[in-house]
Amino acid sequence: MDKDATLDARGLMCPMPIVQLAKKVKELKSGQVLELLADDIGAKEDVPAWCNRTGHQLLAMEEEGRLIRIYIKMK
Amino acid sequence: MAERFCMVVSEGTFDKAMMPLIMGTTAASMGMEVHVFYTFFGLKLLKKGVRPKLPGLMSLFTGMMEKKMKKVNVPGYQEMLAQAKELGVNFYACSTSMELMGMKKEQLIDGTKVLGASAFLNLAADSKVQLFIG
Repeated sequence: MDKDATLDARGLMCPMPIVQLAKKVKELKSGQVLELLADDIGAKEDVPAWCNRTGHQLLAMEEEGRLIRIYIKMK
Repeated sequence: MAERFCMVVSEGTFDKAMMPLIMGTTAASMGMEVHVFYTFFGLKLLKKGVRPKLPGLMSLFTGMMEKKMKKVNVPGYQEMLAQAKELGVNFYACSTSMELMGMKKEQLIDGTKVLGASAFLNLAADSKVQLFIG
């Protein structure tokens, strides 16, 4: 999937992936796509919940073994 | 307007120290406005440079817990506190508890507001989520 930026949050546990995500989003513009890499299993539920609250759009979520790859479109 | 989230913390042990910071940083990252009120034994968590201990006899193993957290990349208490402040989490000290514990405002982390139950309830009354941690 096309992306404008990547945030590598692998090795971080809750709540740090979400905290880093909120910081990263400030650098991006509306319509841009962010790729998030995480291996905290909680991210599978936490990132969709974060999108639901903040209004950013979750485009896709893929799993490759332990790796969770999530694409988010900025509102 | 941002949704408001209020917490009251009445205990000063390690677990009660981390919980409001985890919840607070997450909520702030989700765009919420966060207010945390520290009272009774919770108040010491706002003291500059404090290192909270595990409860009771387990306090002896606080260092082990801190090492374990470092190993799995979970930030320590002071680091989380700094993170929360950076994200705009608001910290409040209960004025009565300060009197009871003999604590001065200068001993508390920068930016702490001192207030009483009424002022905090005024914030909490218009809050969507409230948690008591004690």
